[in-house]
Amino acid sequence: MQPAIARRPRHTGARLFVQATLARTYVRIVGSLREPTWMLSDAIFPNLGMCAFVLLYRALGAPRAYEALAVIGGVLTTYWINVVWGMGAQLYWEKQQGQLQLYFAAPCSRLAILSGMALGGLAATMLRSLVGVAIGLWVFHIQVAPFSPWVLAGVFALTMVALYALGMTLASLFLLYGREAWHTANAMQEPVYFLSGLYFPIRTLGAVGSVAAGVLPLTLGTDALRQVLLGPTAQGLLPLGQEAIALAGFGALFLWLAGRAMAYLEALSKREGRLTQRWQ
Amino acid sequence: MAVTLGTLRGSLARARTAAWLGWQVEGNWADPVLFAIYVLARPLATALILAAMYGAVRGAPAGAPAAGGSGSGAPAAVFVGFYVANAFHAYVNTVLVGLGWTVFEEREEYETLKYVYASPVGMFTYLAGRSLVKFALATISMLATLLVGWFLLGVRWDWAYVQWLPLTVAIVAGLASTLFLGFLLAGWSLVLTRAAMVVLEGATLASYLLCGVIFPIDLLPFPVRWVALGLPFTWWYEALRRFLAGHGTPGLMQGFTDAQVLLWLGVTTVSFALLARWGYFAFDREARRLGRLDQTTLF
Repeated sequence: MQPAIARRPRHTGARLFVQATLARTYVRIVGSLREPTWMLSDAIFPNLGMCAFVLLYRALGAPRAYEALAVIGGVLTTYWINVVWGMGAQLYWEKQQGQLQLYFAAPCSRLAILSGMALGGLAATMLRSLVGVAIGLWVFHIQVAPFSPWVLAGVFALTMVALYALGMTLASLFLLYGREAWHTANAMQEPVYFLSGLYFPIRTLGAVGSVAAGVLPLTLGTDALRQVLLGPTAQGLLPLGQEAIALAGFGALFLWLAGRAMAYLEALSKREGRLTQRWQ
Repeated sequence: MAVTLGTLRGSLARARTAAWLGWQVEGNWADPVLFAIYVLARPLATALILAAMYGAVRGAPAGAPAAGGSGSGAPAAVFVGFYVANAFHAYVNTVLVGLGWTVFEEREEYETLKYVYASPVGMFTYLAGRSLVKFALATISMLATLLVGWFLLGVRWDWAYVQWLPLTVAIVAGLASTLFLGFLLAGWSLVLTRAAMVVLEGATLASYLLCGVIFPIDLLPFPVRWVALGLPFTWWYEALRRFLAGHGTPGLMQGFTDAQVLLWLGVTTVSFALLARWGYFAFDREARRLGRLDQTTLF
C-alpha cells in the first residue's frame, strides 16, 4: 500500500549545505526586490554622499583623477553598507522580528545560511551599485585607464569574498548583542570609510593607512580596484599582485573565523539566554 | 496669570521628564565613555575624511582642475568654511532627523508609541523633551569636531573677524529651523510605516548634498540650486562661514550681503516654522485616521 504522501529523501552533508545556501540566497534576492523603498535607498543613498565628496573635490580645484577615486570609493560603500547592515546586523534584525530561533531549529549548517545571505546580498547589491557607476560615468564624466576586464573581475571577486566573509564573522558577533549591534553597525560606517580611504588616496593617511590595510579588506580592495581602473593615478599602496594575495588571505581567514565565531557565540547566547531576547 | 504660569511650569516639568527618559533610552545601553565613542565616531570620522581630502589635494601634483573648480589649491579659508558648516551639520543629523527616528523607534522597535500618546505627557511635549537630549548630543559632536579641527588638523580662523551678534542670531535661527523641521519630519514618520526608515536616512544624506555643506551650491545643477536656496540650512551655513570663519562661500553666495544672508535665513526659518506647525498636526491627525500609531511593519 502506497503512503498518502511520498517520503522525500533526506539531504545531508554538502548537498544540504548547497540547498540551504541556495534557499537563503533566493529569499534574500526576492526579499530585497519586494520592498521598492529599500531598493531605492540602497541604490541612491550611498551615492549621495559620494556626490557631495566629488563636488568638494571640484570646489577645491582637485585634479580630475581625484573625482574618479571618490566615485570608485562611493560605489564600494554600497557593498560595505550591505555587509554591515545586510550581513552583520541581519541576525539582530531576525532577533527583533522574533524568528532567529527558526534559524537554529533548522537542520542545516548556520554557515550555509550565512553563505546564502552573502550570495543573495552580493547579487542584489551588484545591481544597485550600477547606479553609482552610471552617476560616475554620465554625471561626473570620470575617465578610467585602459584595463583588463579579467583582472578587474578577479580583483573584484577577491574583494567581495573577503568583504562578505567579514560580514559573516560580524553576523556571529552581533548574534550576542542587542542594541549594541545597531550602534556598532552605525559606528562602522564613516570611521571605516576614513580608514579605508574610500574618498581619497589611502597613501594620504601614511602609516595609519598601512595599518588599516592590514586589518580591513575594504582598504585593500578599494586600493586594488583603483589600481586596475585608474592605473598610476590611483597612487596605490602596494603592488596589485601583493594586494590580490592579501585579499585572498583575508577571505580565507574570515571564512574560517566565521565558522568558529558562529559555533562559539551560538553556544554562549544560548547559555546566557540572549538568543531570543528582544529589545535588550 | 496663575493658570498660565502653572501651565508653563507643567509643560517644563513634562519636557524635563521626557528629556530624562530620552537620555535613558539613548544612553542606558553602555557606560558613558563607550557611549561617547559611539556618539563621536561618525562626525569625527567625517571631519577626518574632509581633512584627508583637503590634504590630498594640497599635496597633489598640479593637474587640470575639474569644471567649476576654483583652480588648483583652493584657499585654506574656503576649506575652513566647509569644515565649520560640516561641524554644525551635526544638529541636522542628530536633532532634525533624530526626531523622526524617535517616532520610528517608539512605534516599530519598542512598540511604545501608543503608550506615549496615552500618557499625560503627550506626544508633542515628549518629542520636545527628546529633542533636548539630541541638542546636547549634537552640541558635543559639533564642539568635538571643531576642537579636533583646531588642535589636530589646523582648521583655524581669526577670532578678530568673528561677528558675535550676527553669529548669535544665525545660530539661534539655525537651531530653531532644525527643531521645526525635526517636528515636520517626525510628523511625517507618524504617517509612514517602515518606509520612514528610508525617508529618514534619505533626509540625512540629501540635506548634506542640498544645503551645500561642503561645497558651493553653484556646483549643483540649476533647478536643484533653487531648492538649495529655499532651505534655511543653506543660509545658516553661509552665515556661519561669514560670521564665525570670516569668509563666505565663493560664487553665487558672494552676491548676497551679510544682511541679506541673515534676512533670507530669517525668512526661510519662519516659513518652515509655519509649515512645520501646520504639517506636524496634519500628519498627526492623518496617522490617527489611518490607525498608524500602533501599526508595526518592520520588526
